[in-house]
Amino acid sequence: LAGPPSPPGRAPPGWRVPVDCVRANELCAGEPSCSSRYRTLRQCLAGRDRNTMLANKECQAALEVLQESPLYDCRCKRGMKKELQCLQIYWSIHLGLAEGEEFYEASPYEPVTSRLSDIFRLASIFSGMDPATTSKSNHCLDAAKACNLNDNCKRLRSGYISTCSRELSATEPCSRRKCHKALRQFFDRVPGEFTFRLLFCSCKDPACAERRRQTIVPSCSYEDKEKPNCLDLRGACRTDHLCRSRLADFHANCQATFQSLTSCPGDNFQACLGSYAGLIGFDITPNYVDASTTSTTISPWCSCKGSGNMEEECEKFLRDFTENPCLRNAIQAFGNGTDVNLSP
Amino acid sequence: AALGLYFPRKEYLENVYIDEPAGMPLLRIHALRDSHEEVAHFHLCQNLVISRARSHENNWFQIKEKKGVLYLSKSLDREDFNMLSVGNWMPLSKVMLYVFLSSHPFQEKECDSATRTTVVLSLINATAPACSSLTARQLCFTEMDLSFHIKENKPPGIFHQLQLPSVHHLCQNLSISYKLLAAEGVPFRYNETTTSVQVTQRLDREERERYELIAKCTVREGLREMQVEVPFLVNVLDEDDSPPFLPNGTDTADAVVEFSRKEGTVLSTLTVYDADTTPIYPLESSRKKYTGTIITDDPWISETFRVEHIFDEIHFSPNGSQVRGTRHEYKLVLNKSILVTEHRSFQLDVLVNDTEFHGPERSVMLHFNVSILPVSIQFSNITYQFTVNRNAERFAQIGKICIENCMKFRGVNITYKLLSPNASCYPVSILQGREDKYGTLYVNDSSVLRRPECKEIQYTVQATDKQSRKHTKTLLTVVLEGTLLKKEEDCPDSCAMSKHRAECEECGSLGVLTGRCQWRQGSGKGITTNYSTCTPSIKTCPDGICDVVEGRDPAVCPQDCTSGNIIGGHGKGIGNLGIKSGHGICYCFPRQNCYCEKDDIKEQLCDGVCKIVI
Repeated sequence: LAGPPSPPGRAPPGWRVPVDCVRANELCAGEPSCSSRYRTLRQCLAGRDRNTMLANKECQAALEVLQESPLYDCRCKRGMKKELQCLQIYWSIHLGLAEGEEFYEASPYEPVTSRLSDIFRLASIFSGMDPATTSKSNHCLDAAKACNLNDNCKRLRSGYISTCSRELSATEPCSRRKCHKALRQFFDRVPGEFTFRLLFCSCKDPACAERRRQTIVPSCSYEDKEKPNCLDLRGACRTDHLCRSRLADFHANCQATFQSLTSCPGDNFQACLGSYAGLIGFDITPNYVDASTTSTTISPWCSCKGSGNMEEECEKFLRDFTENPCLRNAIQAFGNGTDVNLSP
Repeated sequence: AALGLYFPRKEYLENVYIDEPAGMPLLRIHALRDSHEEVAHFHLCQNLVISRARSHENNWFQIKEKKGVLYLSKSLDREDFNMLSVGNWMPLSKVMLYVFLSSHPFQEKECDSATRTTVVLSLINATAPACSSLTARQLCFTEMDLSFHIKENKPPGIFHQLQLPSVHHLCQNLSISYKLLAAEGVPFRYNETTTSVQVTQRLDREERERYELIAKCTVREGLREMQVEVPFLVNVLDEDDSPPFLPNGTDTADAVVEFSRKEGTVLSTLTVYDADTTPIYPLESSRKKYTGTIITDDPWISETFRVEHIFDEIHFSPNGSQVRGTRHEYKLVLNKSILVTEHRSFQLDVLVNDTEFHGPERSVMLHFNVSILPVSIQFSNITYQFTVNRNAERFAQIGKICIENCMKFRGVNITYKLLSPNASCYPVSILQGREDKYGTLYVNDSSVLRRPECKEIQYTVQATDKQSRKHTKTLLTVVLEGTLLKKEEDCPDSCAMSKHRAECEECGSLGVLTGRCQWRQGSGKGITTNYSTCTPSIKTCPDGICDVVEGRDPAVCPQDCTSGNIIGGHGKGIGNLGIKSGHGICYCFPRQNCYCEKDDIKEQLCDGVCKIVI
């Protein structure tokens, strides 16, 4: 549904291709031994404490059996049917095991194998424009026009814009919950060649950058009366399966690394941009902090004020948005219409 | 007693290559102490955690119990590597180990101690690179940032070793030396022989909470010399070692209850400072650590007032460097609405307690001088007189009725009522919105206005306070004036339906004051709040608020009250009601659509979404 057609699953050699958790759950339910162990493990994990759980022989046995079942390695797909159900199954196993205090959690989503170049190829067909000749134009305006020429994009975009700009009362500028839901629908159901162009268009003047900042209707979806502490925001996000998964996915795909040229894991810009877009419409919604054209700073609506002894951790979390070379390079590369040339 | 030993880092990183020899040291971990007598003992949890929570028995790594050196006890061959990589999707496989800390030799090797640090080992799918192929950066430092935390008020000790044990082990023919660049007087010392870094004295966070140093590494290989510098950061962790104090010594404030008497009203605020930090996350536990309690035996006081505590981070500058501290605000708040008749004064004391501070001055007493003043429910010394044109129509708004100070009241519910006159002339009524502090006088029966015998009508207005049942009265005179106009034929049911000035001003309809609708000529260009429209009274419609009289009938002022479609360029009003701004002339068919359009030029219609798009 979402995303451009990608080459068939390019799993790293030697790895087994995981099935999705909904399917894995069905497979497990069909097998009496698996389903009873799964029930046992869920009961073990309901207690939430990993150490007491591992001390219990029955729990340990259940865990060992399940490690061999497809449930253990199962993943989910962004925007798949029953995505929430899939994630619930995933976290029902991983929540208690993943210690719960890890800074970066493993992503429950399948790795993205498609590349930015796939988007550029499609985008140029859609727009009929050569990116080189449009250097003078407002790319963000072009992106809006391109979206309006596509029925699906136009419908979902006007959907979220009208929801997010509907004033409820003098004290309540909008329904944030509905606005977030509409934004999630837009970014889940509209292909990246439209959504990425709106979100990551490159700008040379403030008017364009302001339009880019306004893409997600930040007055409703982003800004709030007060800025919470980032760790508080992360805590709130982690209580929600969907938000938790999207955040883990963002960390998996955008976490800066020294081990690649672009600072992105596997030099995959598309994966990073996709998981960035996947955060929009949650508590942790990121956005451009201003309409500056020279330095694009991105942040969720939070600060590290009041972190106490956790300030280091808080700033580390915030820096993954504000000073992330992988994210910055990915946005820049998208704006320039360049991608990493993959060596075969 | 709580374990005083702790790790100066939450996480250590290192790479492991295939077929590295058994006995190879990987990294060195340090622990800092609470008291001089303590000796650190390190031990590993017997399981490795492979990403995604899969665990595996640890057959390869061990730690020296006293020295904290993590080493390979068994070479990791390709088969081991493949086994540990199963289920790992990322191109890089990582395994995690937990290192635990104890002040005595470990007896039961369980993963249960609370004090632990994580070692993340990246398994590299290759044999270790030759020393000659490594860059200076790789020879000197790992990917791990050199950032540490040290608790304040603890004894000095070694907390890091710059030399990389694995490089030192493998590349012995290279000369690698380190230096720690720091400003004068910084409480850290580098020992060149052991390459260890030591904190030399007890630190005080309230004096300085961050030290930024630079670790410099020099690699010599024959005649070649390479240098690398990386930041070396030390954060000082806070503990509750400062008592609360009062800014400028202010511990007293006045709290007056007069017109605002509603539950939730903030009467007064007093501030307490603390040089310690207070995390706002998790919020509730911090609130519990810093309490504010009303000290009273009077049940009425404890029922009527509550104290609300908020706090935020502020900065102190003890000696040039900035350190974080906390401002606590204690707000005296009404816990319930207070009757208008209540009258008392007293001092209310609030005890503020920094529960985690272990010293004599852990609490301060705050004093609020509370005065509760009664307010009178009375009309000011006037009698109301309103003039009404005989041509006014139903729902024409004549004026407002309001007792003394009524607009200042909060938490006082006044209702206004007309006591019926003896006469048969009874054209007006009072309406009051749910939260309205005033009553609106409007024409309820326009046929009475037309009766010649009705000229001047006297009413009594009564205002009643709901809670105290107190009430007050005044006289109200309504004078009818003007001569009756001839009714135009074919006039629409609502002023808002007229599209042009001429037809607007020759007709009258619901809500008009003088028998004729009024035209508002907009001046603005584009979509503006000052759009052109036809209305019963420019004063009340359209003003962006669907008031209680307008809300009575959709024909009175749909410009403020419509919830239907608006076609053409516009912005909707609050709560999706009415037209806040429009393009050109806006006109409405009550209970149906409204239209906003430029009259002269037929432009393409543009709705709310289109407006945002273009």
